Amino acid sequence: MQLIGFLILFPLVVAALLLLVRGDGLRNAIVWISAVVIAAGSIMLAVQYLGAAWTGFVFSSQAIDLVACAIGVAISAVVIGFGVKYKNYLAVGLAIVQLVGDLIFEFGFAHGTHVEVGLYIDPLSVVMALIIGIIGSGICVYALGYMVDFQKHLDEHGEGLTDLQRKDRRPTFFSLMFLFLSAMFVIVFSNNMIWMFTGWEITTVCSFLLIAYTRTDEAVRNAFRQIIMNMLGGIAFLAALYFAVLNAGTLSFQDFILFGLGSPWLVAVPVCLLAFAGLTKAAQMPFHTWLLGAMVAPTPTSALLHSSTMVKAGVFLLIKLAPLFAVCMVPAQMVILVGGLTFMLCSFMAISQTNAKRVLAYSTIANLGLITACAGVATPEAIWAAILLVIFHAAAKSLLFLCVGTAEHHIGSRDIEDMDLLFERMPKLARLMMIGIMCMFIAPFGMLIAKWATLVSFVDSRQMALVLLLAFGSAATFMFWGKWLGKLAGIAGSPENVELDVHPSEWISIALMAALALIACLALPIMSKMLVEPYITSVFMQLGSDISVDNLWITSILAAFVFVVMFAGNRDSKAKRADVYLAGVSVDSDGRVYRNSLSGETTATSRNLYLDSIFGEGIVRRPGEILCAAIIIVAIIASGFVPPVL
Amino acid sequence: MSFIATLIGTVAFAIVAPILGCLLAGLDRIISARMQGRVGPPLLQPYYDVRKLLAKDNVSVSGVDGVYMTAALVFTAFAGGIFFSGGNLLMSAFVITMAGLFFIMAAYSSRSPYAELGAGRETVQVMAYEPMVLLMAVCFYMAAGTFNAGGVFSLNAPVILYTIPAFVGFLFILTIKLRKSPFDLSTSHHAHQELVRGTTTEMSGKTLAKVEVMHWCETVLFLGWTGMFFVWAGPVSLILGIIVALAAWFFEIWIDNNFARVKWQAMLRSAWAVALVCGGINIIVLMFM
Repeated sequence: MQLIGFLILFPLVVAALLLLVRGDGLRNAIVWISAVVIAAGSIMLAVQYLGAAWTGFVFSSQAIDLVACAIGVAISAVVIGFGVKYKNYLAVGLAIVQLVGDLIFEFGFAHGTHVEVGLYIDPLSVVMALIIGIIGSGICVYALGYMVDFQKHLDEHGEGLTDLQRKDRRPTFFSLMFLFLSAMFVIVFSNNMIWMFTGWEITTVCSFLLIAYTRTDEAVRNAFRQIIMNMLGGIAFLAALYFAVLNAGTLSFQDFILFGLGSPWLVAVPVCLLAFAGLTKAAQMPFHTWLLGAMVAPTPTSALLHSSTMVKAGVFLLIKLAPLFAVCMVPAQMVILVGGLTFMLCSFMAISQTNAKRVLAYSTIANLGLITACAGVATPEAIWAAILLVIFHAAAKSLLFLCVGTAEHHIGSRDIEDMDLLFERMPKLARLMMIGIMCMFIAPFGMLIAKWATLVSFVDSRQMALVLLLAFGSAATFMFWGKWLGKLAGIAGSPENVELDVHPSEWISIALMAALALIACLALPIMSKMLVEPYITSVFMQLGSDISVDNLWITSILAAFVFVVMFAGNRDSKAKRADVYLAGVSVDSDGRVYRNSLSGETTATSRNLYLDSIFGEGIVRRPGEILCAAIIIVAIIASGFVPPVL
Repeated sequence: MSFIATLIGTVAFAIVAPILGCLLAGLDRIISARMQGRVGPPLLQPYYDVRKLLAKDNVSVSGVDGVYMTAALVFTAFAGGIFFSGGNLLMSAFVITMAGLFFIMAAYSSRSPYAELGAGRETVQVMAYEPMVLLMAVCFYMAAGTFNAGGVFSLNAPVILYTIPAFVGFLFILTIKLRKSPFDLSTSHHAHQELVRGTTTEMSGKTLAKVEVMHWCETVLFLGWTGMFFVWAGPVSLILGIIVALAAWFFEIWIDNNFARVKWQAMLRSAWAVALVCGGINIIVLMFM
């Protein structure tokens, strides 16, 4: 209990401190120390509560309720302030709706509803705490070096920018990062749904401010898209709280779930609204555009949003709701269909992208779709798969974002076509990036095991449409990852090594992410047993029984083999080197220049396939958005009328 | 203990599959020649070819393609070992895809425009056949009640009775997996120019020998998958499985010799359409059974 309080409050203190610090040296020291402290804290928490079932802590205070309410008001005020300043009246309107709803709820509607057990911990919150505490704070450390380069670039190349856009806003940046971590801890540890909602809203507004960091027109526009979409989710969350009080008479999350299991027809509407909030935060179609827009922010922000915070809060809520999905058909079908469609369509769209960060964003959305669909299926196997997907995705995706961010600063581009020869120019980075990519999609890595369990649970629960969506979607993932991997693998001569001046803080956090991804893959059987299975047994009273431990061990051996191939000097030094064949006499083999039939020089070029005519955004996006939006609207309306279980 | 069984199976597959695959490749060339009205090479010609490749100088553009191909071979052996020791069909399919990925990386590593083009087409090929492979495995699971290939021996009737559409779909993508015309887009055995040679343009000597051996092993594995549909309790049914697998293989050779290579668009569309129709129908039918 003290540890939980520490994990929530300590990042808050650090955030306040960082707001005041302007010197690089002091900031470095503070971020380093607090990152280590937070990581250590979350590990201690995990050790202490390893395998423990749901444990509630009696903790309530009128003061905290008031603080939560004050934070809600402050959040609305921030959004209204920005909305007026940038003339975005839709955001202002939503903020006012939320503000009014918030105040009525606090002082009128729910005034008498009291939650004894304010905080709790269960195996799922342990997993989330580890992800937030280790990966989240690792990204904060990475940001130290990255933001130095970022600010330098702004100072040197910022002629066309206004003073506001060029201003060194790093104190706010780091402060927001830590505030984000604190809010995430609030979400995963709060049993009081009002507190949870407060954490939820803080993450929304934090990412709003982080996305708008550069204050360019594009950044501001995308930040507003984010806040509008997520405030819709926030308002749905708030509405769900009204229903929870009205129908279930409680604001304790645990009691709400238990009540729902007993009388599903009374919770169908709030569950649907909460699921809607989860879908917006997890950037499911048609709300996926906010996450795509979020990549205008500095890379650490993207890494944080994609891997350990924000979107993970969305899927966390959905996974928590899984027991209720098992009894409420309408919200479950909504979540399953939206998740499955998002997985397939976003995997398709990823094929047509050349921008590395955009590929990563689409793959994140697709993976979240898979997790979402698993949560909706709500069998023990599906939830097992969903939690493993959360873990692997967090490790692999943060690794990839950090790699892309560093590569961008050193080769001056985030276009995959420009990552040609990265294997030679940034040998260590390219190998780590390749490991990250492999972790994301291919056997024998954990991601695939999770996908496999997903498939089994879809088949067993007779989710026929999902099986098809998964089959075609994962074929597409092979294509877009495979060609990126190939681009990285290219080798010619010995181009200049440009990774020598990468900041040590960047290396350390990249290495940390790689190590986590590695450990997660190699120790998959152990991790499954110690971290994931306790949650399954505590919620479902039984384990799914599909993937034998033997198979897990086989994959972990094969994964080890891949790591050896990638890192143990895979260059055959004895081989005689030959020029590449270019259908003409080579002039410069490394540059692919050859003598053509008119005795002139021609440079051979080649690009990967992007299949824009089949999988382009222009073709896939609109139908997908319409379809998913229709599903959501129909489901929310139907949840009021259709009996939960047919 | 299936873990030990898998390891033993992998070693056994690594020894037996190249021999069987080599003989099949030799037969393939003789049958193809007869279809074209030629006499054809001796049965062991593929073996002589590979032996010659192994004796060649060690020359490479990138210096890493040999290592990637070794990894691809190891994964192929594992995929075969998992399947023939009665292990998980999905796992076998995933691991063989991993082998394919290393093959793609080996091609990309040379930075040859021709190899890159071939590798790009190879990713499209994988994307084309992957849905049907998955759906085939799902149908197998729904019919047999297990993903384990060894599970067929405790059935009362062969899986094929419930999975005819999926089997037909699988035969369709088998042409892609075996790199037979009309779907030999990424690299062709009948290469007359670099564009057709594709992925293997810059491979030579031992590396190219590994590609050949990997292809032999893949052929044996995929024919194993084919035969699996026809096997049930009792060892006699194994003979039926082998006969069907060989018939399917003969059918693929016939297709190879009678159809012209198509563009990747046609391959992708047709393979996905087949997967959607055959796999989809089969799964729906099995769901209601």
